[in-house]
Amino acid sequence: MKVYDSSTGTASSPEQERVKVGIAEYEVTTSDETLTTSGLGSCLGVALYDDAAGVAGLVHVMLPSADGVEDPNAAKYADTGIETLLLEMERAGADRDRIRAKVAGGSDMLDFSENGSGIGVRNMQQVEATLDDLGVPLVSDDVGGDHGRSLRLDGASGDLMVKSANKGSKTI
Amino acid sequence: MSEVLIADDSEFMRNLLREILEEDHQIVGEVENGVEAVEVYKEQRPDLVMMDIVMPIRDGIEATDEIKNGDPEATVIMCTSVGQEEKMKEAVKAGADGYITKPFQKPSVIEAIEDAVGA
Amino acid sequence: MEVDIQSLETFNQLAYEGSQQATAMLAQMTGIQADVEVTKITLMDRDDIGEELAGQSFVGIGFDLEGALVGDTTLVFEEACTGPIVEALPGGAAGDELVESSVEEIGNIMMSGFIDGWADFLGATIEHSPPQYIEATGADVLPDADDPNEQVFVFKSHIEWPGEDLHFYIYMLPAYDRLTELMADSGTGDDAVPVDKLSMFNEMTKEGTATAAANVTQMTGIETDAEVTQISFAPVEDVPKQVDNKAYVGTAVEFSGTPSGYLMILFDEESAMNVAEALMPMEPDGEGFTDMHESAIEEMGNIMTSGFIDGWANVLETSVDHTPPRVVHDMGRAIIDPLAAQVGQHQEHAFIIESHMQTDDLEFGCEIHALPDDAELRQALDDLDVARKDETEPDVERIFE
Repeated sequence: MKVYDSSTGTASSPEQERVKVGIAEYEVTTSDETLTTSGLGSCLGVALYDDAAGVAGLVHVMLPSADGVEDPNAAKYADTGIETLLLEMERAGADRDRIRAKVAGGSDMLDFSENGSGIGVRNMQQVEATLDDLGVPLVSDDVGGDHGRSLRLDGASGDLMVKSANKGSKTI
Repeated sequence: MSEVLIADDSEFMRNLLREILEEDHQIVGEVENGVEAVEVYKEQRPDLVMMDIVMPIRDGIEATDEIKNGDPEATVIMCTSVGQEEKMKEAVKAGADGYITKPFQKPSVIEAIEDAVGA
Repeated sequence: MEVDIQSLETFNQLAYEGSQQATAMLAQMTGIQADVEVTKITLMDRDDIGEELAGQSFVGIGFDLEGALVGDTTLVFEEACTGPIVEALPGGAAGDELVESSVEEIGNIMMSGFIDGWADFLGATIEHSPPQYIEATGADVLPDADDPNEQVFVFKSHIEWPGEDLHFYIYMLPAYDRLTELMADSGTGDDAVPVDKLSMFNEMTKEGTATAAANVTQMTGIETDAEVTQISFAPVEDVPKQVDNKAYVGTAVEFSGTPSGYLMILFDEESAMNVAEALMPMEPDGEGFTDMHESAIEEMGNIMTSGFIDGWANVLETSVDHTPPRVVHDMGRAIIDPLAAQVGQHQEHAFIIESHMQTDDLEFGCEIHALPDDAELRQALDDLDVARKDETEPDVERIFE
């Protein structure tokens, strides 16, 4: 018996101008949308964009590496999160040679580790290493410190606006 | 009038204790951790130490233990938010002469001091 | 009854996938692209369920479930959602008299989406009753409780419709006994948590919340009420979503012992200001949130932290130490995310022990969130002696005779 459902007939969705990226999630846009993510503490927001192709993406990662994790949620980790985002962007028409990266977050607030190498710092180290492996240049960043951040990536320009609760905002 | 050393990492709590105590006692020092508490105790030999438990660098129970080892005559009153039975036992073992739990009312602080050092 | 961590994960995942499926059904019918923000399984007093809905108007579509899963499920829409949803239906902009039946029908289809995955997983059928349409304020949109004081598991999904800033929710309240049997049957027996002791731990935490609330009253004269205590289970990446992203002021500590973990006491900015000023013996120097305010909040956090965790230590006849509090003033999610990440280094899912208190007359709200290491929480539950569960207070007489 064949089951008929409406899954092929999905009604078209109204155009969204702002797309929220949750923690351990990523989004790719090819239509100049703004991608946002909020409440980054030791988490990092990694923005990748290819101006010429008009493809941009943002991933909100929580921990450095998926090494040794069974069946990981790729976007939760810096290494697999960046790789996955890059592949999705290539699939959407981006060219790896033109992709640039911007990074923000990785605060060391509320780091209770005794040895001084907190998760924020290790997240950033992993991001740098992974971008380096993939040959994607990191053009600017706003990381560390002891405050949280929210991000807004302009898909058209690659401008990344970084807002903090008490320290105003800036565009990198 | 007794000489009192206040050891508490919270500025707010030191102020509050000072307000309560300075009427009848002389505050000889205010310190923020257990290491400073031991140092200042050795220099000043106050009649009484009001000692918090949860403090950075060194906690109040360890500091009490060292003060009491160096000077069995010392009087130390724990003044802490910790209300755990096991902690209270540790405090007794370290030689604490009294135990005030925060938040406290002024009369209970005065009573604890009277019991420990005499009126 | 023992329920292992794996089956908590599995059931939470079923609820999440069910919510996604229900949301996909909505998209197919209306074109509305909504996202499932978070799904969590929570153990709490039956009477407190839906407390977060207070004061708002909702339309609910309720169903009884029968078969492999027994209980109530309600789709809860913010009242403002129903207009756009009905308009988005093919042939939309129906007359008022059709709104109710349109929403009911959407609910009906969403509910099928929600339970299909459960039925497949359980290898059995689940029937749902015809939809019941309810308009109500706050938790009244949910079914009445038979026994308000009973602790039950509830699955809550929060679904967001980003374009419109509208929200809806799915509350599934399965019959407790049937659910725990199902969870026990589906587990492997590893890393098991004794469910009844989890309830008992919740009771102990409730005492801790009451102590922390009493501390607030003693120190500030602010009478708190509406205290709610619950324990939830969610993937670590969903932990930060437990907190709003508005600005909070509060304290965080690491605690160590059985169990160990992290604990936050958070006040919204206005409440923090009110609490700090109620604590200060004199007028603060300077405008706004000064260093003196901060120091007052630090000490408040310190005392409430002890009030909250001392009861665990006393019942377990152990000690639970905590670091001096660190004061934070930042976006809520940025405060909790480093703590979730620290817990997340060792585990994929986390228990979240959570309390709220507030007052009616003055602007005062406070949230307490604790993230215990799950292996140590299991150890604590193992160690928990049922006969001592009420011994949250120290036996002062015996210690200082």
